[in-house]
Amino acid sequence: MAAEQIEAAAEALPAGQVAFTAVGVKKHYPGVKALDGVDLQGFAGEVLAVCGANGAGKSTFAKLLAGVDTPTEGEITVTGYPHAVRNAAEAEQAGVLMMHQEPLIIDDFTVGENVWLYKLRMGRDIRPWARKVDSNSARTREVLRDVGLGHLRTDEVARTLGPGQRQMLSLSRAAVTTHKIMILDETTASTSEEHFGDILDLVRREKQAGTSIMFVSHRLNEVFAMSDRIAVLRNGTLVKVLKTSETDADEVTTLMIGQALKALDRPAPAQVEGKQPVISVRDLRGGSADGVSFDVFPGEVVGLYGLVGSGRSSVARSITGQKQAAGGTITVNGDVVQLSSPGAALRRRIAYLTEDRRLEGFVKDFDNGENMSLVVLPRMAKGGVVQAGVEKSRVRELIGEYQVKGGPKTYTRTLSGGNQQKVVVAKWLEADPDFVVLDEPTKGIDVGARSNIYEIIHALAARGKAVLVVSSEAEELLSLCHRILVMRGGRIAAEFDPEDADTDDLIRTALHAD
Amino acid sequence: MTATASAPAPQAESEPPRSRAAVDWLKGQYALYILVVLLVIASLTSDAFLSRTNITNLLLQMSIIGVVVMAQLIVVLTGGIDISVGSALGLAAVLCAGIFNGDSVVLALFVALVVGGLVGAVNGWLVSFRGLEPFIVTLGMLALARGLVYAYGEGIPIQPGAARAFADIGQATLLGVPVLALIWIGVVLLVTFLLYRTVWGRRVYAIGSNVEAARSSGIPVRSTLWSVYILAGLLVGLGGFMFICRFASGTALAGNLLELEAIAAVVIGGARLSGGYGKVFGAVVGTVIFQVIANLLSLLNVSTFLQDAFRGALILVAVALATVQFSRRRKTPAPVTT
Repeated sequence: MAAEQIEAAAEALPAGQVAFTAVGVKKHYPGVKALDGVDLQGFAGEVLAVCGANGAGKSTFAKLLAGVDTPTEGEITVTGYPHAVRNAAEAEQAGVLMMHQEPLIIDDFTVGENVWLYKLRMGRDIRPWARKVDSNSARTREVLRDVGLGHLRTDEVARTLGPGQRQMLSLSRAAVTTHKIMILDETTASTSEEHFGDILDLVRREKQAGTSIMFVSHRLNEVFAMSDRIAVLRNGTLVKVLKTSETDADEVTTLMIGQALKALDRPAPAQVEGKQPVISVRDLRGGSADGVSFDVFPGEVVGLYGLVGSGRSSVARSITGQKQAAGGTITVNGDVVQLSSPGAALRRRIAYLTEDRRLEGFVKDFDNGENMSLVVLPRMAKGGVVQAGVEKSRVRELIGEYQVKGGPKTYTRTLSGGNQQKVVVAKWLEADPDFVVLDEPTKGIDVGARSNIYEIIHALAARGKAVLVVSSEAEELLSLCHRILVMRGGRIAAEFDPEDADTDDLIRTALHAD
Repeated sequence: MTATASAPAPQAESEPPRSRAAVDWLKGQYALYILVVLLVIASLTSDAFLSRTNITNLLLQMSIIGVVVMAQLIVVLTGGIDISVGSALGLAAVLCAGIFNGDSVVLALFVALVVGGLVGAVNGWLVSFRGLEPFIVTLGMLALARGLVYAYGEGIPIQPGAARAFADIGQATLLGVPVLALIWIGVVLLVTFLLYRTVWGRRVYAIGSNVEAARSSGIPVRSTLWSVYILAGLLVGLGGFMFICRFASGTALAGNLLELEAIAAVVIGGARLSGGYGKVFGAVVGTVIFQVIANLLSLLNVSTFLQDAFRGALILVAVALATVQFSRRRKTPAPVTT
C-alpha cells in the first residue's frame, strides 16, 4: 500500500494548493442551460461537496471537470496541466479520476481484474506483449480489504456482485491509480450505510495523500460527514460556497431550494368521494419496490416523489406492464389483473410514458406520423391494412393539437426534447387510456414545452382520467398534483397534500433527514 | 442541406413538392447507379447480353434468388440475419422432388412450403421465444438442413416423377416473360404490400429500429418476430419449388451459398444490417446487380473462380459506397429546436 500511496503522492500537490480552477463555465444543451457561468476552485487535501437539487447542474459540472463533456463557454484548468482539459483522455493525463454514479464494472472480468482495469489503458504503451498486472496478488486483496470487500475472492466474476459492492469495487481503483483530483459523482446513491464508513476511510486516506476530492451529492448527512467546503448550485449557477464547519443542513437546504418558481395554476380539485379507484395497488414488490400500496381515483393527479433508487421507477414500471411485479396485487377498475407486458397493460387502458425517451419513447427511424400512430395503428387499419388516408389526416390533427414543431414527415429524433416528448404524449393519449403514468415527464425539457406538458396533464385529469406523475422534482409535483406520495427505501414513507406541504417537506421525507 | 437552403418555401412544414421529393429519392439510389453503369458496360462489351435468349436466361436466374432476397430482407429489417436460406432451399427442393415421388406439381409445391415454413418456424421460435442470436441459430440450421439434403439424396440428384410437368412450368412464358420471373414479381409485390401497407409491416420496422420502444408501445414483439421468420421460411420453400421447376432435379448442392448472395443483395440495396431501415426496391436492384454481373462475367468467358472474386469485390465496393451515402445523410437534417 505504501508504495502506491507514495506514487500517488508524487503526483499530488501539497495540501492547500489549488488543484483545479473553473472560470465562467457554461454548458448549454439544446433548450436547456445546464450550467450558466460557474467559477469554482478545488484545493489539494480537501473535500469539496457540490450540492444542488435535481437539474441544478452538479453532475454536469462533474462531467466537465472529468472531460466527459466540454463547456460551451469558459474553461476548467487543472494545476500542472498546460492547457484546459478538452476530453476524458486529457483529464486522465492531468490526474482527474472520475467515479461515476453508475460504477464502471466489466461484468465478465473477475473482481481482481476489475480492480486493475485502468492499468489496461497505459497511454501510448501499446506493446502487446506487456504483462498485465497480477489480479490475484496480495496487493489486490489489500486494496479490496481497504474498501470493505476483503471477503470477496479476487477470481470471482464481478457479475454476481450487488450494487453496493460494485460501487466499492470501482472505488477501490483509487488506491491503484495516480491522480490528484477524485470526483465522486453521487457515488453513495447505490451504497448502503455499511459501505459509507468504508467510503469515509477511503476519502480520509486520499486527503492525507493530498488529493483534491469533489463529492457530488444531494444527501446532506453524507455531505456534512465528509466535506470541508460546500458549493451550492441552483439552476446552473453557483449560489454560495460555505465552510462545512460554519453552516448547517438547514442553511444548505434553503440555498439549494431557493425561492419557489412562479407557481403554476393549481389543478381543479378532484371529486373522488364515493368513486371507485381506477387502479389499486396492494403490497407491490419487485425491483427496489418493497411493499407499496396506493389508489388513484379518476380525475386525480397523484405525484410519486423519491430519490434515485427509492423504488419510484420500479413502481411505475410494474403497474404498467413494463416489468413483471414480483408480488402484490394490482386492481384495475375493479378487476385483479396480471400485467405481463406493455401490450397487456394497454388492453387494460394503461399507458406508460417512459423517462428514457430515446431508448423507449419513440422509434428512431420513424417520422412523427409513424411514431404517433404506433400504438393505435391497429385501430387505423382494416383487416391489418393501414388506411393511409385515415392515418395521415389524424396525424395532421395531432401535430396541430399538441403543437409539435415540424411536420408529419419530420424524423422525431431530430426534434428537441420537448417536441419529442409531445410526440410521445400524443402517441399514448391517442390510445385514450384511463390511467396514465408519466415517468419524469419534463426531464431535459425547456420551460415552454414544460408548461405545455403540464397543461396536457391537467386536461387529462379534467376529463376524468387518473394520472400518476413520477418525478424527482419536488416543485413540479407540488404545483401539478392533488396528492403526493413520497417513497423512501422501497416503501411509501408519507403522503402529502400539496396545499400544506413545501419542497422542504418532500426532500426531508425522501432523505429521512428530520 | 442544399435542398432546404435553396428553397425557403413559405409552407416548409407541408409536404415537399413532388419534383423535390423525386430528386431527394434519386440522391439515395447508389445501387441504382451501379446497376445503370453495369447495364451500359454489359451492352457495350457483349453483343449477346441484350439478346432475347440471354435476357430470358437472366430473368430465370434472378427469379429464384430474387424470392430468397425478399425472405432475407424481412429478416434483416428486424435486425436479424438468416444464413440458412441456401440450405433450407436445398432441403425444400429435394424433399418436394422426392416425397410423394414428385408425381404432382401441386403436392410438391405444398411440400416445399411446409418444409420451408417449418425451418423458418424453428429458426423464428429459437430467435424470438428463446432469445438466441439469429446468426448462431441459422448457422446451426444451415448445417442441419444441408446435412439432411445429403442424407436424403445420398449424393444422387433426385428427379421428380413428373419431371416433364415441372420443366414445363420452368420454361413456360406469359407474354414473353418466364412464369418463374412472374412468381418473383408477385412475391416482390406481396412483400411490398406487407411491409408498407400493413400494421404488421410497420411493426417489423419498429422492432428492427428500436425493439425497446416497440415493446414499450405494446407491440407483440415476439410473435411478430416469429411470423417474420415463418414468412421468410415459406418464401425460401417457394424458392425450392422454383428450383425444381428450373432444373428438374434436386442436387445435393441445390441452393449452396445462396445465403451470401441474398445477404449481399439486401445490403447493396441499402438495408441496414442492424435493422429498421431498408427498402424493397433497393433489395430488388441489389438482386439484379448480382445476376447481371454473374451473367456478364460468363458471357465474357471469365473463369468461374475469378467470377467469385469479382462478386466479392462488388460487395465491398457497394458497401463502401453505402457508408459514404450514410455519413453524408447524417449531416443533412437540421435539428428543429424550440
